[in-house]
Amino acid sequence: MTITVQTKTGEFKFENDEGTETLLFAGLGAGLTLPYECATGTCGTCRARVMSGDVEMAWPEAPGASRLNRGKGDVLMCQSHAKGDCLLRIPADVAAGDAVAAPRRFSGRIEDLKKLTSDVVDFEIALDSATNFAAGQFMVMTSPVVEGGRSYSMVNYTPETDRIRFVVKRKPNGGFSNWLFEEAADGCEVSLFGPLGKATFRPGEDGDLVCITGGSGIAGIMSILDHAAQAGHFKANKGWLYFGVRTLADAFYVEELAELVEKSGGALQVILALSDEAASAPTHPDYPSIRLEEGFVHAVAARAMAEISGQLNDRTIGFVAGPPPMVDGAIRVLLSEAKLPPGRIRYDKFS
Amino acid sequence: MSWIKVCKTSEVPENSLKKIWAAGGVPILVAHYKGGFRALPPVCPHMEEPLEESGVIAGCVMTCTKHLWAWDLKTLEMQGETEKPLKTYETKIEGDDLMAFVEQELLYEFDDEDDMDDDSFFNC
Repeated sequence: MTITVQTKTGEFKFENDEGTETLLFAGLGAGLTLPYECATGTCGTCRARVMSGDVEMAWPEAPGASRLNRGKGDVLMCQSHAKGDCLLRIPADVAAGDAVAAPRRFSGRIEDLKKLTSDVVDFEIALDSATNFAAGQFMVMTSPVVEGGRSYSMVNYTPETDRIRFVVKRKPNGGFSNWLFEEAADGCEVSLFGPLGKATFRPGEDGDLVCITGGSGIAGIMSILDHAAQAGHFKANKGWLYFGVRTLADAFYVEELAELVEKSGGALQVILALSDEAASAPTHPDYPSIRLEEGFVHAVAARAMAEISGQLNDRTIGFVAGPPPMVDGAIRVLLSEAKLPPGRIRYDKFS
Repeated sequence: MSWIKVCKTSEVPENSLKKIWAAGGVPILVAHYKGGFRALPPVCPHMEEPLEESGVIAGCVMTCTKHLWAWDLKTLEMQGETEKPLKTYETKIEGDDLMAFVEQELLYEFDDEDDMDDDSFFNC
């Protein structure tokens, strides 16, 4: 079936065989730069109006659908499937990009699943074919046992690879995270669409890096710092990572972070912000290059920025990842304390 | 309506935002940037976020932390990927008072993008 989209920048057509992919994934897969942020029904960015044709929205109660004008036929493309040819209007600038480099569908198998803390697991996915992704990007994963897709950022940075690593924090009522924790998910087949997301570190970029994150938001930041270290970015630039966890026992990837500090020749500083316990020492007991501070991560970063903002170069890039209140607080710190212009801040907000 | 007193200039320190219910029940967001004041509708024109909470002023630029829409408050130029301009009330300072010219309450069009009904919007 053929999907026609009218956009601010002209009309485009793409094919959606059998309607198996959502309108968003079918269009992105065809190389169109359709608007999206979360790709999983939360943010409302991929809004479109169905002008003609039959389109079914799989999850009408999606949080991102609350502002839709349903009476006029508005849908979230990430939650909608076409039942036949249709015509959509999308209130955004859209361009026809490179279909070869476009995100696409993969199948994969969960391997090397391990528990990092009482509520965090990480695992690798063996993909059915190799992919390139930018540091900071994510994939939407679906499993045969839990309904709906979940977005996970890649932890590793490896060009042209068929192995990607994810980290997942258990949520009290999270069907997906509970499946990964309790069931024998290791070895299970999953389906993925990606890579997606624009909060990325781009090759050749120059500038100090200030990263603020909490919990599993560290995933994309690990990939960004890994890429930066591999590219020799810290030879000429400094970096700061503020990583928020509840207690020292909840911290993970500490060994990998200590390695990154070493690889950076000390130009990267890593600060663990402990929200629920006092920092018993100024540095981590096993990894003295990792500093400890007490408080919520954005508050710890705010205190530090007041001192280090004068050292930041004028190309500094801010990266923020985490749940919405943490991201909003961290963006505020980067604007008012680090004095970054809004155009130099990239964020990944998940809920 | 006409010129109305909004607040004392000292009530809104530089780099801060304050929502004030002005005479006639009109909500006005006072923005104090480096070098001046703006009187604005109190929500972000993007998704109606209350800017008193979501807005940050640094220098002359006001940014909504929700999606990083931003404007230069001096020139009113949109920054980066911002897609809608700010609406503003004309202001003047008389003594210690910030005054705004309010003919009627300024509102943004949110509902659901009447522009989607506008064929010329889509160049088709």
